[in-house]
Amino acid sequence: MSGFVIEFEGEPVQARAGESVAAALTAHGIRGFRVTRSTAERGVFCGMGVCQDCLVEVDGVPGKRACMTVVDRPLSIRRQRHGAALAPVSDALPPATIDELAVERPELLVIGAGPGGLSAAIAARKAGAEVVVLDERRSPGGQYFKPVAVAGDDIAPPDAQHREGLALVAQARAAGVVIRSGVSVWGAFQRLEFAATSDKGETRRYLPRAVVVATGAYERAWPVPGWELPGVMTTGAAQTLWRTARRLPGRRVLIAGNGPLNLQLAAELRSGGAEVVAVVEAAGPATRAPAAVAAMALASPGLVLDGLRYTGRCLTGGVPMLHDMVVSAVAQGPSGLQVTLAGSGATRVLETDVLCLGYGFEPSNELLRALGCRHDHDGTRLVTVRDADGQTSVAGVYALGDCTGLGGARVAAADGTLAGLAAAAGLGHAIGPELARLGRQAASAAQRHRRFQQALWNVYRAPALAIAQVPDDTMICRCEEVRFGAARAAIADGLSDAGSVKRATRIGMGPCQGRYCRPLLEALISDATGKAPDETSGFAPRPPFRPVTIRDLAGKP
Amino acid sequence: MSATLPTAIGTVVIGGGVVGACVAGFLADEGQDVLVVDEGRGAGSSSNAGSLHVQMQSRFMRLYPENVPNMELQLPLYPKAVAFWRELAGSLNADFDLKMTGGLMVAESQDQLDFLGVKAKRERQLGLDVEILDRAQLDDIAPYFGPGIVGAELCANEGKLNPLLCNAAIRSWILARGVVLAEGVAVTGIARAGTGFAVTTTRGTVTAGRVVLAAGSGSRDLAAGLGLTIPAVAEPLHMNITEATAPLIGHLVQHADRMITLKQFGTGQIVIGGGWPARQDAPGGHPQVELASLIANASLAQHIVPSIGNLRIIRTWAGLNTSVDGMGVLGAVPAIPGLFVAIPGDAGYTLGPLSARLVADVMLGRKPGEDMAPFCPGRFR
Repeated sequence: MSGFVIEFEGEPVQARAGESVAAALTAHGIRGFRVTRSTAERGVFCGMGVCQDCLVEVDGVPGKRACMTVVDRPLSIRRQRHGAALAPVSDALPPATIDELAVERPELLVIGAGPGGLSAAIAARKAGAEVVVLDERRSPGGQYFKPVAVAGDDIAPPDAQHREGLALVAQARAAGVVIRSGVSVWGAFQRLEFAATSDKGETRRYLPRAVVVATGAYERAWPVPGWELPGVMTTGAAQTLWRTARRLPGRRVLIAGNGPLNLQLAAELRSGGAEVVAVVEAAGPATRAPAAVAAMALASPGLVLDGLRYTGRCLTGGVPMLHDMVVSAVAQGPSGLQVTLAGSGATRVLETDVLCLGYGFEPSNELLRALGCRHDHDGTRLVTVRDADGQTSVAGVYALGDCTGLGGARVAAADGTLAGLAAAAGLGHAIGPELARLGRQAASAAQRHRRFQQALWNVYRAPALAIAQVPDDTMICRCEEVRFGAARAAIADGLSDAGSVKRATRIGMGPCQGRYCRPLLEALISDATGKAPDETSGFAPRPPFRPVTIRDLAGKP
Repeated sequence: MSATLPTAIGTVVIGGGVVGACVAGFLADEGQDVLVVDEGRGAGSSSNAGSLHVQMQSRFMRLYPENVPNMELQLPLYPKAVAFWRELAGSLNADFDLKMTGGLMVAESQDQLDFLGVKAKRERQLGLDVEILDRAQLDDIAPYFGPGIVGAELCANEGKLNPLLCNAAIRSWILARGVVLAEGVAVTGIARAGTGFAVTTTRGTVTAGRVVLAAGSGSRDLAAGLGLTIPAVAEPLHMNITEATAPLIGHLVQHADRMITLKQFGTGQIVIGGGWPARQDAPGGHPQVELASLIANASLAQHIVPSIGNLRIIRTWAGLNTSVDGMGVLGAVPAIPGLFVAIPGDAGYTLGPLSARLVADVMLGRKPGEDMAPFCPGRFR
């Protein structure tokens, strides 16, 4: 196995080449990364660059996300302390203007290299469009494929899901799609202008003729007392550790949430040698919804088989499956996290090293909102207004997949093909008979997978988060350390919109830019005012959608 | 707060920013019935970012050289306005994170330093506490500037505050005084009715004995409906804020020849602005940030204070400044009894509470303690 010795707070840590700093440190039992204003430690939470809780200093450069920083050489890592002093810099560059930024004018820009973005790129390229795909992660594949990033004899080989992703990436490259990895698109402005910064700190402007937005989703908050503690992470974060770095989040792992991803994670971590303390599912057992299971099996027998396999591996491994229960509190005990579960009139406490929370997703729609694309609110989340081919309310802007509402990887892939073809046609490329047939297949696949998804949601139907029951001392804004009590006080004081509560309480003012607290605050306000949320009821979209280092905008001194 | 609109009230204040809210508060302190109508929400003007400006801003001098005589005329009001902010913090017993650390306008060439020298001489005559510093003197009090900076004008009267804290405290004050706050309500017209006015809103009509126009550039159209000319223009401006760092920049920092303001809040965050344009597609619409302004503004900030290059910008926003003729529009409208205007002028937030105090004094029949004639709303044709 090739690797490097990295330093964490002066102590040597053996890391694998290609894994994230977060994976290397987690594998050595290090859970505390960022240190907050109140001097609390935070750990890996989202594992995908969204939450900003795993911030570290890398070789003296502050504000690096451990989950997005790849170990490609020996690194010196320190915890990022809130409000740390800046190192003095004695020389300065002349002031720059936008004219000094590199500009690219691809015919079609695709943002996001998950199954949807890649499928769109392939389809548009086959129709003759010149396509550039930008993706924030080190390797294409997105949150569904999560490609293996490490190599060695002791590394478990790629599984079928990995191989499917590799094949799709290879297909895109063979078709002539340009894929740029490690590039984060943090700004979308009127007139299809985009700003993106690479992991090397180079900022570019993209002025495409059309764009396909396929930015996926991130996990929704599950706000309970202690959900900000190190060792509490999303199901996706734990899965990324295992699928990309073949690292376990901890020895004992408790997985709680709603939906099949939690089962898949349990099976994966068990195969890696973890002790899965239990899988806690908010919904009842599938046997309670036989009609929905039958509908799923009709729509996609393969996926149902996968689900049965995951369940089987958990059951044969003796993993307790606790249905109709949710996590209601987390506390740090002397020998691990004490997780309180509640449901069916009972509570119980389990001890674990790591708690994974997987209670559904929230679309990453900030680029679409900044572009002015219309959205409907379905009562739970925003859904992008789009036609069957992915055309949004803004000319030249196509969108698909989980960023437009939720549908899963297979719906995204089918919709990607449709959007790619529509975008190419909109750019004046002819869609020949073969591509038209591909489109018809994609349309029918999209329908079938939507039926599957609907049936899946029926199987996993569970009570929604009871926002009124969340205790006042629970964190609502992880970044600014503001609790539910403060939000409720501001609302009781007469503030009746998210922006006003934000200005009064600092909820949503931190570097994650309100991604976790916004839906919670919207629900509180909606409860108090009786007004249903809509596309204007959250915070206004404000670039940069990922914090951007001034130096990367202005040239390096 | 979505109050039910009364059908009749003593005074309607149009605009719930710092100016309108303070006018309402001062009137309500004296027991008057006041309704504040604001199109937006949260009773916070969208244009403020916490600078307490006193010295003449080189940006306005460059943009509007014809307004310099008016700027000079209003200049003595600025240090008083800053002092009044402190007084207000005291009387409301509120923490505004107000720091009187002084302001620095930096120069990068002898020409720019000479310009500051001339400006400082004039400002001293007008009562400001200013001095010119060379690089060595500058390094003694502000050891964070880049190598290009040759000196600066220090204005001891300047400072900064956190507008989020101010707006929240002002809001609590006026609500406690019984001011009716109607947010998310737009005024669509004002008509004279008997000895008073009928104010038409998106939520019905309110009759009032007196009306105060405190809606910044939005006052222009409302005034025009009554035959009054107020040539107020909206300036959509770009702002940036970084994550927190240790105390570094004590002063309010500006530049003699380039558009920038830089200051650090008590939270440790650095606010970067200074007049880079935002985009407003429709009048009255929400202004949008522009990439060009973000790049130029951030890059200039790093040029002046190189160490902030390692900080991350976490948010940008666009606010609206209101510019008239270099001077405020304050007081009674001579031709229309019962109509008052409260538009502070170039540095609206700095001048806000004092301007509101002056207008409220006029309305209450008190002596404002300033010659109001230069600010007369009837001065435009």
